[in-house]
Amino acid sequence: MTSDRLRAWARSWRFLAAEAGASAVSTGFFMGFLLLVPLMLLTGGIFVLPEAARLLRRWAERARVRIGSFRGTTIPGPRSQEPADRTIDARLRFAFSRQTGRELGWLTLHALPTLLVTLVCIVLPLGALNSLLVPGYWFLVPEDDPIGAPYPVTSWGLAATMPLVAVAYAVLAWFLIPAAARAVTGVSARLLTPDRRSELRARVDSLTLSRAAALDAHGAELRRIERDLHDGAQNRLVSVVMMMGLAERAFETGGDGLPQLRSAQAAATEALAGLRRTVHDIYPPILDELGLEGALASLAGRSVVPCTLAVDGIGRVPAALESATYFLVAEALNNVNKYSAASAVRVRVAVDGPQLVVEVEDDGRGGAVERPGGGLAGMRRRVEAFEGRMTVVSPEGGPTNVRAELACGS
Amino acid sequence: MRIVIAEDDTLLREGLALLLRSEGFDVVAAVDNGDDFLAHLDEADAAVLDVRMPPTHTSEGLKAAAEARARRPGFPVLVLSAYVEDRYAGELLARGADGLGYLLKERVGKVAAFVDALRRVAAGGTVMDPEVISQLMSRRRADDPVQSLTPREREVLGLMAEGLDNGSIAERLVVTETAVSKHIGNIFAKLGLAASDSGHRRVLAVLAYLRS
Repeated sequence: MTSDRLRAWARSWRFLAAEAGASAVSTGFFMGFLLLVPLMLLTGGIFVLPEAARLLRRWAERARVRIGSFRGTTIPGPRSQEPADRTIDARLRFAFSRQTGRELGWLTLHALPTLLVTLVCIVLPLGALNSLLVPGYWFLVPEDDPIGAPYPVTSWGLAATMPLVAVAYAVLAWFLIPAAARAVTGVSARLLTPDRRSELRARVDSLTLSRAAALDAHGAELRRIERDLHDGAQNRLVSVVMMMGLAERAFETGGDGLPQLRSAQAAATEALAGLRRTVHDIYPPILDELGLEGALASLAGRSVVPCTLAVDGIGRVPAALESATYFLVAEALNNVNKYSAASAVRVRVAVDGPQLVVEVEDDGRGGAVERPGGGLAGMRRRVEAFEGRMTVVSPEGGPTNVRAELACGS
Repeated sequence: MRIVIAEDDTLLREGLALLLRSEGFDVVAAVDNGDDFLAHLDEADAAVLDVRMPPTHTSEGLKAAAEARARRPGFPVLVLSAYVEDRYAGELLARGADGLGYLLKERVGKVAAFVDALRRVAAGGTVMDPEVISQLMSRRRADDPVQSLTPREREVLGLMAEGLDNGSIAERLVVTETAVSKHIGNIFAKLGLAASDSGHRRVLAVLAYLRS
């Protein structure tokens, strides 16, 4: 029990000792920031300030780890990490963000004030030790400059009281050091935890972005459906009407309208098939039942060429993106099964930053060519609807790699 | 009469060519985009154009029609579209309405009426789809003078806007030409339009009124 408390006390002391070093660094940082202020009046500040803010963010992150490990908890860092794009604008926004302001506040407190507190705390036990030793050496120091802690020791009588002073120091150290460690970690943890408001704001920003992306995807899907209907069912039905008109004309003039009627029937059948395709393409029922991963697994399972599927980190993506991904993979596997003569095909779907990457690679004969109106062109059209990119690498002799990147906005 | 067809849907293109040939037209070319159509411009007396064609599938047909009429002023063009848009009609009419037609694609089903429309356009007339007219009519405000027209007068107004002449209107409504003339006189008086002779100028006046 006592040894546990002693160990805990020793841990607090070690922490404060380490924190003393860290706050010395913070003090240096703080001085550096003060020097930056006049520099801000010059244009060079634009370049220096974001770098300083970045450095501060990293330093604060290390403090979070240190303090978190002492308290046995995790201090959450800010959601918005260093800006991904390196434009001056984004960097300045980062430098002047609320979070940077909070970290600056922490730094101010972690500089000189923490340095003082921690230094006092770490010397207290040394003071106690010194007081114990004073009776053994007070007479060795010059008389005009006696031991002065906490009062001048100039006689054996005074020296004899020193063990009492040592006890006082020890008691002070015993209670003060854990309390100081708690105070330092408590205040730092509070200052280093991003405040709820800026957290919520960051969350709203990211939700707004993903909502916009979802709306874009939705719009793209609507355009695609309109195109499908126009090029398919609508045109076929015009053909039906036209052929019926020709048949009518033929019958009116006493001719044979049967071939026209047959053409009309064929066109109507095609219109129906087109409608069925469009309806299915709007949202394949299997996506609703199994989700994207399940639907892809079902596609992989149906492939004649053995197919391995790797789906990584796709949480929830917009429905339009799900169906686009589904059809990309379906069409790609269809191509592999029909033309590639491959012995294996690998499908990979993963979220990479703001993008959903869909990759289908087979070990077949290669030589895939994109033709207008062909399967690959149709895939490209889908990808472009999401402002994505599609690359097809298929040298003669293989392998064939089809890779699509779609903006998923989450 | 020599006709060039531009329509990107293969089945429709061939169907149109078949239809026009069987009605005695000489189809000199049937192409699937605006540029190829322009290449055949000089061989033809009139053109039938689809609005949506490659490469962008938006309004290539309208651009091709404008370009054709810039190269050959008054070149008769009958534009076909899957849906009609008042704005497109306006774009087409902006640079002269003679020899211009704008019809829904499915009008080809009424072969006689379609062929008649093409002939009227080729002869320099104006043909507007009834759908465009009804769009324009439905957009009128409640206090609009159009609302003061009798149902029969509104029918006549619609047929005038489609580009029919008095004889055809009389035929369509199964009335005498004299009755039609009377209706037209009333319409022009009620709307405050200057009476003009039959033909595309009258269509223009009526359309301009409806679009205002």
